[in-house]
Amino acid sequence: MEFLVILYFAYTFIAFYFLMIYVMIYFQNRKEIYETIKPDKIRTLSMVIPCFNEAKSIGKNIEAFLVSDYKGLKKLIVVDDCSTDNSYEIIKQYAKKYPQVIALRTPKNTGRAAGAKNFGIKYVKTELIGFSDADSLPNKNAISKMVGFFNDPKVGGVTSRVFVNNSTNYLTKAQAIEYKIIAFTRKLLGFIESIYVTNGPLSIYRKTAFDQTGGFDEKNLTEDIELTWNIVSKDWKVHMSIPAIVRSYVPKTVKAWFHQRIRWNVGGIQTVAKYRSKFLETGMLGLFIMPFFILSWFLGLTGLVFLSYRLGRYFMMKFLVAKYSVAAQVALVSMNDFSLNPSVLFIFGIALFSLGMAYTFIALSYSRERGFITGHPLRDIFIYSFFYLLMYPPLLIVSFYKYLRGYNTW
Amino acid sequence: MLKSKKNVIWEALVVTVAIFLAGLFFGVLMEQGNSAKISNLYLQSEISLADAMATSRLTEDFNFNCNEIKQSNIDFANRIYEEAKLLEKYEESGELTSGMSLLHKKYSLLRTLLWTSNQKSLNRCNNYNLVVYLYESQNEDTAVKAKQNVWSKILLDMKMENNDILLLPIAADQNLTSLDLLIDEHGITNFPALIINNDKVLYSLESVESTQAFLD
Repeated sequence: MEFLVILYFAYTFIAFYFLMIYVMIYFQNRKEIYETIKPDKIRTLSMVIPCFNEAKSIGKNIEAFLVSDYKGLKKLIVVDDCSTDNSYEIIKQYAKKYPQVIALRTPKNTGRAAGAKNFGIKYVKTELIGFSDADSLPNKNAISKMVGFFNDPKVGGVTSRVFVNNSTNYLTKAQAIEYKIIAFTRKLLGFIESIYVTNGPLSIYRKTAFDQTGGFDEKNLTEDIELTWNIVSKDWKVHMSIPAIVRSYVPKTVKAWFHQRIRWNVGGIQTVAKYRSKFLETGMLGLFIMPFFILSWFLGLTGLVFLSYRLGRYFMMKFLVAKYSVAAQVALVSMNDFSLNPSVLFIFGIALFSLGMAYTFIALSYSRERGFITGHPLRDIFIYSFFYLLMYPPLLIVSFYKYLRGYNTW
Repeated sequence: MLKSKKNVIWEALVVTVAIFLAGLFFGVLMEQGNSAKISNLYLQSEISLADAMATSRLTEDFNFNCNEIKQSNIDFANRIYEEAKLLEKYEESGELTSGMSLLHKKYSLLRTLLWTSNQKSLNRCNNYNLVVYLYESQNEDTAVKAKQNVWSKILLDMKMENNDILLLPIAADQNLTSLDLLIDEHGITNFPALIINNDKVLYSLESVESTQAFLD
C-alpha cells in the first residue's frame, strides 16, 4: 500500500474512532443527557462578572442574575476593567439599588478578562464561585440546574449550555449550529469525565477546587480552557448541565470571528504547551483529553492536506484536459471519464461522512428550541457542514504560525 | 452521584477496529472479485491471441484472404481494448491488493504479442493501419496524465471514424523485456508516443484530422 493510502486509513480510523466514542456514549446515556440533580443543600454562590466597555449589555446581564431562582446566589461581583465608556457608572447604579451587587474597578486596565476575574475573586467568600461574561444572559433557572452536580464532593466545576442570541446572518447562524453541537459533544464527554473547557458565559466552581488552581492564568488567551485543565489535573471532576442555558452574542463579521478563533486556537496551543508534561500521564487529562485535543488538530490539518491535494489535482487535471481537448477539437467529457467502481477508501470516506452527518442531526435535534427535527433549516446545516467547518484547519495553521511568532493579544 | 463510564473508550476502540477490519476484509474481497473477473476475460483473450498468432503464421505459408486476417486482428484488438478499459477502472479503485497491477502487465504483454504477430501480416496484406499508442501508466504527473487522456480521446475518435485501424494502447512502463526491445528498436525515448504502421513515430497529436493524415 502507498504511504498516502496508509495515511488516509490512519486519518479515517482516528476520525471514525472519535465519532464512535460519541455515538456509543450517546446510546449508553441518552436518557441522562437532560438529567439534573436536585441539590442536597443550598450552597452559597458568588458570581464574578468581568466587564470592559459593555455599557450596552452589562445592565441586562446583572438583571438576568438578579431574577435567578437560585436562593444561594449571594453576591454579584461586577469588575470593571477601567472601561472607557460608562459601564462602571451603570454597575454602580445597580450596586446602589441592589445590596447583592458589588461594583469593583481594577486599579488599571488588565487587558483581558482573566485579569478582571482574578481581581474579583479576592472578594468571594462563598462555597461556590461562578463566572459569566458581561454580554451573556443566563436563563432564570440556569444556576439551579447546575448546582446539584456539586452534591458529588469530587465535582470541581459545572458548566452550562450556550445558545447564540444574535443569529441574524449566515455566519452567526452557522455559529448557532456549532455552539449546539459543541454543547452536546461536551455533555457526552462529561459522561467519561473528559470535559476540556468550562465556558466563559456561565460556569460555576467549588471554591476549594478553584483555590487550588491559583486562579486564572492571565498569560493564557483562553483562560477558561486553562482553568479546566488545571482543575482536571488536580483530579476534580467537571460536569455539564444541558438544561442550564445561557444566551450569548457571537461575532457577526468574518473579521471579528477570525480574530476570536485565532485567539481560541492560540489559547488552546498555549494550554497544551503548558501541560505537555502531563501528556499520557495517569488521569483523564493526560490519557484522554490531551491526546484527544492533539489528535483533533492532526485530523484537522491532515484533512486539509488531503482535501487540498485531491481537489488541487482534480481541478488541475480537469483544466488541462479541457485545454488540450479544446485544442484537439475532441469532446471535453467522455463516458470513460465516469467510473462506477468506488474504492475502499471512498466507501470509508462516505461511511465517515454519513456518521458525521447523523451525529450532527442527533446533536441538533437534542438542542432544538423550536421547529421540527433540528430546529434549523437544512440550508444552514449545509452551510455549516460544507463551508463553515472547512475553515477550521486553515485557522489552525494561522494560529500555529501566530503562536510561534509570540501572538498574545486579546 | 453520576457514575463515570470510561469503559466506552475501549468499547468504541474495539467496535471501530471491528468495523475497520470488516471494511478491509470486504474491500479485499471486492478487489479480488474484480481481479477474478479480469482474469477470466484474460484467459479468453489468451486463447484469442494464440488463435490470432496461428492465423498470422498461416499467412506466411499460405495465401489466405487478407480481409479475414484484418478483421480477425481488429476484432481481437477491440476486444482487449474493452477489457483493458474495464481493467483500468478496477485498477483505479484498487487500493489494497496488487492483483490489478499484475493483470495490467499481462495485458501489456498480450498487446505486445499482438503487435509483434501483426508485423508480417501488415507487410503482406497492407490493408489496415497498425497504430501502437505507448503511454505511461505509473506517471503521476498531472500534465502527462491530462495529455494521455486527450490522446486516448483523439485515438478513439479516429478509430470510430476509420474501420481499418488496429489500435493497440500499451503501457510502456511495465518492465517487459520484449516491449522495451521494441521501444528501443523504434528509438522512442519520450512518452506518450504513437507508432503508425511500424514506421512513423509521433510525439504530439494535434487533432483527429491531422493524425489521420499519417495513415495509409
